[in-house]
Order: sequence, then structure tokens, then C-alpha cells
Amino acid sequence: MSKRFVVPLVLLLVLTPLAGCAPAAKESIKIGLQAPITGEYAYEGEGFVKVVELVTGQINEKGILDGRKIEITKCDDVGKPDESSKCANQLVSAGVKAVVGSYSSTCTEPASEIYNEAGLLQITPSSTATRLSQKGFQRFFRVCFLDDRQGLFAANFMKELGAKKIGVIHDNSTYAQGLAEHTKRYSEEAGLEVVIFDAINPEDTDFKPILTKIDGLGPDAVYFSGYHPQGGLLLKQSRELGTGFKWIVGNACNNPEMVEISGLDAAKGTYITTEPLPKDIPGDVAKKFYDDFVAKYDEPPASIWWVMAGDALRVIVKAMEETNSTDSAKMAEYLHTKFKDYPGVTGNIIGFDEKGDRLGTVHEAYIISEAGEFEMVK
Amino acid sequence: MGQFLQQLINGLTIGSFYALIALGYTMVYGVLKLINFAHGDLFMLGAYVGLVTLMGLVVNMGMSASLLVLLAIFLIVMVVIALVGIVLERVAYRPLYRAGRLPPVVSALGAAIFIQNAVMLLYGARYRTYPEEFKAIVPEVIWTVGGARISLMQVVMLAIAFVLMAGLYIFVQYTRVGTAMRAVSLDHDIARLMGIDVYRIIALVFIIGPALGAAGGVMVGLFYGRIYFTLGWGYGLKAFTAAILGGIGNIPGAMIGGLLLGVIEALATGFVSDAWKNAIAFVVLILILIWRPTGLLGERVVEKL
Repeated sequence: MSKRFVVPLVLLLVLTPLAGCAPAAKESIKIGLQAPITGEYAYEGEGFVKVVELVTGQINEKGILDGRKIEITKCDDVGKPDESSKCANQLVSAGVKAVVGSYSSTCTEPASEIYNEAGLLQITPSSTATRLSQKGFQRFFRVCFLDDRQGLFAANFMKELGAKKIGVIHDNSTYAQGLAEHTKRYSEEAGLEVVIFDAINPEDTDFKPILTKIDGLGPDAVYFSGYHPQGGLLLKQSRELGTGFKWIVGNACNNPEMVEISGLDAAKGTYITTEPLPKDIPGDVAKKFYDDFVAKYDEPPASIWWVMAGDALRVIVKAMEETNSTDSAKMAEYLHTKFKDYPGVTGNIIGFDEKGDRLGTVHEAYIISEAGEFEMVK
Repeated sequence: MGQFLQQLINGLTIGSFYALIALGYTMVYGVLKLINFAHGDLFMLGAYVGLVTLMGLVVNMGMSASLLVLLAIFLIVMVVIALVGIVLERVAYRPLYRAGRLPPVVSALGAAIFIQNAVMLLYGARYRTYPEEFKAIVPEVIWTVGGARISLMQVVMLAIAFVLMAGLYIFVQYTRVGTAMRAVSLDHDIARLMGIDVYRIIALVFIIGPALGAAGGVMVGLFYGRIYFTLGWGYGLKAFTAAILGGIGNIPGAMIGGLLLGVIEALATGFVSDAWKNAIAFVVLILILIWRPTGLLGERVVEKL
């Protein structure tokens, strides 16, 4: 490049940000979004971004705290714990006032330590591992529900199905292992016999050895608490082996991609224990949000976790408005004590307990229909 | 008994994929003493190119899925990945041959990261699935033998793997070019004195190795249906292990190492626990290497040319 071009270019680079600042009305409020935008769970991360952008747009139409706008600072943690710590540090130094994220419990765990030290309000849309809220972090909240409630629901559901001997399989992730342990405990309490409790390696693509082993033990039902990419393969290979048990999968398999991976024939008849699908969430706010999403992106929100991300952001904004500040300590105090019966896009939010966990439960059982749709079991 | 037999079949299927990929590692090591860490990612790229070709031929051009189409897909993918292999050799390795043994290994790691990220950016960071249409190519037939189930698809995959491996073995052992290849693996300078164009042989290795890896990629895509841009890392690591197990640089060794690793994994899962599978497989690997430091068949079979 000749010097002739360098000088104007440098001027341009230097002046552009200044130009942007010139009509600076009121400083916008930075809110962090930590999500797996690439990597294994990119599907969920992309959904977080879509939902958060939609909600941000809606909030910025009116503005908050005397017309200030919110500005989302994104960070991609790739779904890996080491990247997650980097992300958390990055967002802290970017000066965000509160954080939405992350997706998996494995990522949320290390990040929550960093946000806690920085004194930031963090709301995770989707990390349900029980132990995340056992650390006494005052500014950690979640808009999803705990694993142990789902484990209880799953155990009772398998009993209702008439299962006597069951298997429980997880994938060694923080979340799936927690859910599997709760399911095992509640199943045993309900009088079911757990014939196998084992973990798969999510990096693998061939699960036939473990499926052969499970089938040999003769359970009536097997509960898989891991994620949908492996869930799809388990269903597919289970059909190829002609195994004789029923599959029940956890809420991380609540994703249409699972059926795509397994093929329809292998997926139908599988049960899923999960929070309700976006289209089945009760309440006017939820229905309006669903319609807005479809209007903007021409597709329905594919997973409940996307919608949860919307509520995480809305709860943060609500706390800012109610406390008339962006101080995390004040917001957390408000959420712990005064925040009650808020109409969320994931249904009514009754409130948070002293640990920051959302009160109540909403789990439902779904079955994959002949057409590959997720239908609520009544 | 049925359980054991089924696990054996499971293990052989997994192992044949490892073996096919291990060949690429072992051939490159044989002639260059270079561990081509990008090989696993060439395999992954093969799976993606296979998907694109399949979509192009079957879905877009409306060709009915037949054995002929399957063959065409394999050929196209193998040619494309072989070309990528040649470019890789020219760009990432050839400039470094005189720099010693370590720089090309680092370059290989760089190439692996490059290919992985390129695929992520091109195809997206989501799981991709081979469309249902391909199922019509291989009809769904399942036999029950002694309480174990084996599908026609499994048999076809095993057959393709063995034909490719046997073809390679015959090529290397019984053709003039194959003999030249073995000569290069013994000593570059002496081979050159014998009138062998060493660079051409190296280029040939970078055609055959990646092409076989690519075939493995298409097979994994067809068989498991789900592909992902980090697929190459997991399979690459296991295949590399298989190559070491059998004796790196040794072609039959890679085949035996791959099959053995697959069977050990399946049996470890079946009779201990899936969570312990890798630990057990690597303990076995270490024990074998203590017993035979150059792998089961030895690093190189001394032979008269």
C-alpha cells in the first residue's frame, strides 16, 4: 500500500469513533451475554443471541432509566470451561453491569466464581446443575429450574410407565451427571431397580458397545440425561441393535435436531422430560413473545433455553428499573426479596429463593410422535 | 456368548474406521518420519465433502440413490481430498523438509487447526446429518448370528474398508511404484541414487493417505449419519494410537492396530464400564509398548528389496 492511502486511512480510523461519539445522548448500559456461539452447543448459543437481540430491540424502543439504552456485549465461550473463564474476565473488564449466561453448567460454574468476585449480577438461562447455587454467591440467579426437580419428575414418570428395572446413562458433564444422580436416587426411593448407571464419552460416535451391554441387563426403560447430539446417536444405534427397552431422555435432548440425527424411525415413541416447549408456555406475555420471534426470524424458537435467555435479560432489566440503578448488589437484593409474580416469556416467575433458584416447577413429559413432533403427554 | 459376539462385531466396526485412518498416519511417517497431525482433519473434511457431493447428486440433481452413485461419491471425495493433500504437502511441509523433524510437525498442527476452523466457518458450527435418501442405497437387512445382530450396512462398510486396505497392501508390496515407496521409506538419499524421484513418491503418499482418510470420512458419515467439524480430532487421536500400537510406519501394523483398538474399546465397555473405556484402552497400549517398544509388528520390517 502506498503512503498516499495510508494517511487518509489512519485519519479515517482515528476519526470514525469520534464521529460516533459526537451526538452522544445518554451513555448506554452494557449487559454481558456469555454463550456458546460456536462449538458443540452452537445451536443453543445462536438462539441465545437471536432472543437477546429481539428483547434488546424491544427494550430499547422505550429505553430504561430515563431513556438510556442497553447494549449487549457478547462473548463466545465455545461451551468449554477454560474458554468460559476467559470470557468471564473479558466481560468483567469490558465493564458490563450484569451478565446473561452461560448455557451449560460446565461453563457457568467457573464463570460464576469470576462474576462473584467482580460483584456482578449473573443470571443463567439454562444451567440447571444443583450445585451451582450451593456456593452462597449472593448475585447468582437462574430462570431455569433445578435438576433435582427434573430427576424426581423423571423417576415418577418411569414408574407411571410401568417400568420396574431401569438404566441411567449420563455423559460426565456437570449437568448430566447431576441429573442422572438425582434420577437414580429418586428412582430407588420410588422402588425402581437401577440395573446400570454409567457414562458415555460425548466425543464418541459409536455407542453400540454400551447399548449392547445395557440391553443384556434387560431394563424396561433407560434414562439418558445428556445432550441431544449424543441422544440422537443413541436412539439411532439402539434401533439398529434392536434393543428392547424404552428411551426416556432429559431436557438437554429437547431439541428437534435430535430427531434429525437419529432419523424418524428411531426417534418416535421416545419420551422427553422437560420444561414445556415455547409453543406450549402459558400466559399472554409468552404468547406475544413467541409471535414476535416468529415475525422477526421466520421460524419458531427451537428450544426452551432460547426463551429462557429472553427472561434472564428481562429480569435484569426489570431489576434495574425497580431499583433505579445498575448496582448489582441492589439488584440482587431486590430479586431476593421483592421480586414476585413477574409475567415472563417462560411463564409466570413466582420469584427466587435465598439461593437464587427460581421457585416452582414446570416439567412436563413429551413424546415424539409418528411425524417427529414433540407432543405433550397428558 | 451372544453379548461377547455382538461386542466383537461392534469393536470390529469401530476398529475398521480407526484402521483406515491410521493408514494415512503410518504411510506419511514411513516415508517422511513426520506425524501428519492434519490427517484427522482431512478425514473430517472428507466427511463434509461427501455430504456436499451426496446433496448435489441425489438431492439437487435428482439422481436416484444407487450403488453407482455411492461409488461416484467415494471417487469424487477421494480425488478432492487427494488434491487437498497435495496442496498441503506443497504449502505446509515441503518448504520445511530441510529444517529438521520438529518444524514440519508444528506446521502439521497448524494445518489441522486451519482446516478445522475453515470447515467451521464454511459449514457452520452445527452438527450436520447425512440425508435419509442415502439409506435407499444400502437396503436395511439385519441378520442374527448366534444372538448377535449384524446389518448389511455394517457388512458393506467392513467390506469397503478391507478392499481399500488390501488394495493398498498389494500396491505397496507388488508394484514398481510400491517398491519405490518402500525404498524411499528406508533411505531417501540411497533411493535417489537408485533413480527414484523422491519428491514424486512423497507427493504420491500425500495422494493415497488423504484419499483413504477421505473414504473413511464418507463411511463415518454414511454409517453414523452425524458429522461435526471436530470429528477429526477424536478419530485422529485414536487412529494415531492405532498406528503406534501396530508399529508406526508399518502398513499391516496400522490395520491390526486399528482393529485391535476397536475391539479392546468395545470389550472394555461391555465388561467394565464405558466411562473407563479409554483408560483401559490406553493402559493396554502402554503394556504392549513396554512389551514391544516398536509396536506389535515393529516400526519397519527389515527386508531385501
